[in-house]
Amino acid sequence: MRVVLVQDSTGHSTGYYVVARALREAGFEVILGGVLLPAGIVRLAADEGADAIGYRIMDGSPVILVGRLREEMTRQGVGDIPIAVGGIVPDEELPRLRALGVAAVFRPGATFDEIARGLGALARPPSSGRP
Amino acid sequence: MDRPEHLDDVTGAREAGGEAVRQALAGSGEVQDAATQSGLPLRPVYTPADIAGLDYLRDLGFPGEFPFTRGTRAAGYRTKEWTRRQVIGLGTAEETNERLRYMISQGQAGFSVCGMGYANYDSDSEHALGFVGRGGVWIDTLADMETLLEGIDMRTVTINQIGYSIPILAMILAVAERRGIAWAELRGTTQNCVQPGGEGPARHGNGAVDILEFCTREMPLWNSASISVRNTRDQGCTAPQEVAFGCFQGAYTLAAGVARGLDAGRLAGRISFFLSAENDFLEEVAKYRAMRRLWARLVRERFAVTDPRACMLRFHVQTSAINLTRQQPLNNVVRATLHALAAVLGGAQSMSVNSFDEVLATPTRAAATLSLRTQQILAHESGVTKVVDPLGGSYCVEALTGQLEEAARTLLAELEALPERDAFRRMEETTRDEAYRRQRAIDRGEIKVVGVNCFADAAEDDEGAPHIEVQRYDPTWRDKQIERLAAARRRCDPARAAAASARLHAAYRARENIVPPMIEAVTASLSIGEIARIREAALGEPFQPTTWNFGR
Repeated sequence: MRVVLVQDSTGHSTGYYVVARALREAGFEVILGGVLLPAGIVRLAADEGADAIGYRIMDGSPVILVGRLREEMTRQGVGDIPIAVGGIVPDEELPRLRALGVAAVFRPGATFDEIARGLGALARPPSSGRP
Repeated sequence: MDRPEHLDDVTGAREAGGEAVRQALAGSGEVQDAATQSGLPLRPVYTPADIAGLDYLRDLGFPGEFPFTRGTRAAGYRTKEWTRRQVIGLGTAEETNERLRYMISQGQAGFSVCGMGYANYDSDSEHALGFVGRGGVWIDTLADMETLLEGIDMRTVTINQIGYSIPILAMILAVAERRGIAWAELRGTTQNCVQPGGEGPARHGNGAVDILEFCTREMPLWNSASISVRNTRDQGCTAPQEVAFGCFQGAYTLAAGVARGLDAGRLAGRISFFLSAENDFLEEVAKYRAMRRLWARLVRERFAVTDPRACMLRFHVQTSAINLTRQQPLNNVVRATLHALAAVLGGAQSMSVNSFDEVLATPTRAAATLSLRTQQILAHESGVTKVVDPLGGSYCVEALTGQLEEAARTLLAELEALPERDAFRRMEETTRDEAYRRQRAIDRGEIKVVGVNCFADAAEDDEGAPHIEVQRYDPTWRDKQIERLAAARRRCDPARAAAASARLHAAYRARENIVPPMIEAVTASLSIGEIARIREAALGEPFQPTTWNFGR
């Protein structure tokens, strides 16, 4: 399963790299996109044929950023790539993210296994069977 | 440290006593070889035999005396308490100024604001959408800095500039100038650290060195580099790594300043450190003591600095955030108190106690006040401030201090054997490796996190669980900030801005010290984004959006 991992800001990104490593060890193909605007995230995900987008959000507003990402995905015709968000997400924003179609949210306290299982469950039919 | 003949008795007795401990442990099924959080071996019991090699006058000395193991002041907190300097930063300059003034009215003595100039674009950029006011305060122009400092006496507070954005330093200096305060009177710190880069041995074009040079010449009371290893530690590295990385970066920064022609003693006296306070209480206290000793010796031996004051390791502590949990967040109050106590017993010069709700959002005013109260309770109620270095002489703490120093010295030598860019990369990679190991250990339950991987049952609302109100981010902050920026642009004198812009462009190209033309640029109301574009045009660099826009 191919996962594009992106982040919202440049600093304090150790967690981003650490999660990438854990996913690779769990058998995922991980493409690190770094800090990108939503349009760039969608282009990368489309170019790479990503099975899922993992979006680390620490500084920005999850609802605003994911909302922009959704719009871009629809515009670029790849609205079916599942999105997972990891980071600081307040309780009250969870339903709004779900409404935006976010398939999984990983917050502080999530284990590597939970993240790998959660992302693995998002695999679309063509890639099912692989982690 | 003990009389030799007595030491023999103790060593003999320890063998016998050690057997009793071994049997007790074996009987209880407890592991024989415990270790600190960082993996340093720990004995179950310490005796004088564990510090037999310690020479009191050489290795410890008195507080205020070289090598400062026991502290930098003869009478410790009796003559000067640590500075309460909670990190603040939310919304626009207006919201942060309001919070700052409130905190100062409640006993805060330092200005420490995060978010200032981190991004290399303005609030009206598409990159800023969803960000303004969330990861700290948003600053576009000098007008924002004036609002931020409104009603705050720049002569009495110490100003901590988090990050080392040069336009932000220039704005602080410009506000002082407008208020008629001489730069030489300002007391504060820039969280600066030289990284590889720049031309020639003097590293012309390296903004971090420009800051060192400018502050050393113009601002004798300002710490021109606060070496931040707190955030590295808080991303997962160990205590010996924190000490080694800090000393490596401190020495690297000092050497860069000396190569620029600055006096080593004068510069060293204005280098300070920014450290963490982690869970393993005894290891943390030992860490601060070990780092003071290691740094003092390093500055004296390597840089031939004779003034003992210039060899002092002075540090600010921000307590750990990596250990704070989203689950059962009030437990974080207890954690932060223990972290802060370790910093106090370790002799910190200033402190910010992380708030229990930081893992949820930027702290609320109530949570930030509780952090300040935590510091005040330690200072005024716990009694630990009455004696300097009260854990000094503890067999365990002295042994750990020695182990920490030794482990850090080894790591430091390894880093210094590498080409400079590789050494910086090594620190980053090591931190990621440690962070990975730590999370694996938490996932396996080898590191216990109360409320997360053990004792996870939280009280329910109907059991009296307190309701935690989280800081709300106002979605109109960005609109307000864009309007502030537009207003600043309307007031800006175009001819003056063009002249300042041309001057800044020329200075970048000539690799001049960039601070003086930057002061002109911000005074002419150029914004952070405009300044970044000038730099890119002058140096032929493409625009890369970043929220880590330091040393430029």
